[in-house]
Amino acid sequence: MDFALTAEQTLIVDMVRRFVQEEIIPLEINLDPDADELEPEVLERLTDKTKAMGLFGLDTPPEYGGPEIDMVTRVLIAIECSQHRAGIYTPCYGAFGGARQAQLFEATEVQKEKYLYPMLRGEKRVFFGLSEPSGGSDPARAIQTRAVRDGNNHWVLNGTKLWISGADRADYGLVFARTGGAGRAGVTAFIVETNWPGFNVARVVHTLRSAKYATEIQIDNLRVPHENILGEEGGGFAIANDRLARQRVPYAAECLGAAIKAHEMATEYSKIRETFGATLSARQGIQWMLVENEIDIRAARLLVLDAAAKSDKGLPFRTESAIAKLVCSENGFKVIDRSMQIHGGLGVAKDLPLERWFREMRIRRIGEGPSEVQKHVIARDIIGGSLR
Amino acid sequence: MKVLVPVKRVIDYNVKVRVKADQTGVELANVKMSMNPFDEISIEEAIRLKEAGHAEEVIAVSVGVQQCQETIRTALAMGADRGIHVVHDGDIEPLVVAKILKELVDKEGPSIVIVGKQAIDDDSNQTGQMLAALLGWGQATFVSKVEIEGDSIKATREVDGGLETISVMLPAVLTTDLRLNEPRYASLPNIMKAKKKPIEQFTPVELGVDPSCRIEILKVAEPPTREAGVKVSDVGELVDKLRNTAKVI
Ligand SMILES: Cc1cc2nc3c(=O)[nH]c(=O)nc-3n(C[C@H](O)[C@H](O)[C@H](O)COP(=O)(O)OP(=O)(O)OC[C@H]3O[C@@H](n4cnc5c(N)ncnc54)[C@H](O)[C@@H]3O)c2cc1C
Repeated sequence: MDFALTAEQTLIVDMVRRFVQEEIIPLEINLDPDADELEPEVLERLTDKTKAMGLFGLDTPPEYGGPEIDMVTRVLIAIECSQHRAGIYTPCYGAFGGARQAQLFEATEVQKEKYLYPMLRGEKRVFFGLSEPSGGSDPARAIQTRAVRDGNNHWVLNGTKLWISGADRADYGLVFARTGGAGRAGVTAFIVETNWPGFNVARVVHTLRSAKYATEIQIDNLRVPHENILGEEGGGFAIANDRLARQRVPYAAECLGAAIKAHEMATEYSKIRETFGATLSARQGIQWMLVENEIDIRAARLLVLDAAAKSDKGLPFRTESAIAKLVCSENGFKVIDRSMQIHGGLGVAKDLPLERWFREMRIRRIGEGPSEVQKHVIARDIIGGSLR
Repeated sequence: MKVLVPVKRVIDYNVKVRVKADQTGVELANVKMSMNPFDEISIEEAIRLKEAGHAEEVIAVSVGVQQCQETIRTALAMGADRGIHVVHDGDIEPLVVAKILKELVDKEGPSIVIVGKQAIDDDSNQTGQMLAALLGWGQATFVSKVEIEGDSIKATREVDGGLETISVMLPAVLTTDLRLNEPRYASLPNIMKAKKKPIEQFTPVELGVDPSCRIEILKVAEPPTREAGVKVSDVGELVDKLRNTAKVI
């Protein structure tokens, strides 16, 4: 068994690491500590570089013009891209291309023209509207937003969506609504434009994340053309399952990147900070924290690479991707917490990225399927059958 | 025409260098190694000469241990066409490298050799000049701008107190200064192509060069740590300290 990177992967990792060190980190010195966007001209200067590197559109499949890289390489890149202050949620401020929105790849050709390609080009922003006040872990059961057919060509939607990231800044997105009875088969995905009458961002929900992020959406008699159904009627959950499992893998790797950087900072700091006549690094209490960081990071790294490698080999990787998401976010959080502790007061100051990572990593244990729901998926694999 | 670019594997410029406990050198175990930054500038310039239609082929050469192949691959990933690796374990001096490069120039017949003005590990700043002397070629050192004009090169040099513009006949040796260009990142297509680009291997002896060192390193030590200064209360005390403590007046 060989865990070594190929010569090509080593070069790619080097190139991306350097990009982060030379282009992104110096920018952050002058940005607001909560910033998650760059000035358009700055972003353009950076995307010119990632395009020249041949890495623009990391989550765009090669057949749509994305780079020809396998999932292991994608994970290695994600681990590098997230090693800066905004890196967990906005790796390199989007310089490597637009959001992952797996479901839109399942669109019809007409829908792709209108909605997928502009997103991939980074021209349009997209939201993902699944969770509701009634619950996000088990949306198949919880979804109450209703869509009723109005004549041959339209549907009328009513309901509330909660926690929807960036809907206030999006051009369009997906709204999952109940078109049939209870359970999975009753839910349909609609592509909805944010300027259509009846679509209202009721409020921005302030969370641990940088302000202005999650939103609550009020949907009142929103008329959606029939051709804006994504996939089949009643097939809202059937689409893109495989792609969703896949999208979770770089998501996990992004947690790891910030943890690696935090651990590196804590190690360095422990060697220079002196208390009671010795450096922190000379204390076993601190050494053990660093050891635990190291072990948590290595374990998470191997698990996320294992998920990626299985996906590359065409093997089932649903369980592996759930394990990777769970371990990278849980271990990542522990590593950042310990690294923060080693930094003392500095750990919680906005002068350093640790406090932002701490807040955002906390959310990573809930978003994209909370840890308990990942365990639910893993348990189903171990025990078999369909758990209620 | 061909352009030959030597690339040296050195400790990465971000690494804090530590002296080995036995003072025989610096710690290299588990230390990140990269291409000498001045050599990246040389590769960039060579690729630009190729893109501008002045050069047909860019050859990257590295002298040293097996892992120098990685340094050559980096050059290939930036856009160099092929590599030559002269395999040698252990220390190597500028004059030996210059002699090896001379042999390679005789084999390959490049019109320009672009050398970094120095390597950031030993800061010798000798190889380019020695090579020009061995070849009997013109040289433009510390260049910050290069223009090809027919069979000569107009080069702007960074000299003490300003810039000097000179013209050198081809073939010539250039040594690159920091401000010559901003090296590009490697690119995914080039990284993938790099796998298929050939890297030839030689030993110094195969090239007829004796690699043994003429300089013996006796000891490597950390620079002395600077001691904290003292505050003086008036001019009288200052003069006294300068005269009796620092003994500079
Ligand atoms: C900042 C932020 C951004 C978000 N962005 C989006 C977005 O863009 N689009 C979107 O659709 N959603 C988004 N979400 C919603 C997110 O996906 C949900 O919060 C998540 O799925 C959990 O749902 P819930 O909050 O309703 O918790 P619930 O489903 O009510 O669960 C509550 C708790 O119970 C646990 N739990 C659930 N089931 C079980 C079980 N069987 N056994 C044991 N424990 C269980 C959960 O893990 C959780 O800890 C976002 C959330 C946040 C905080």
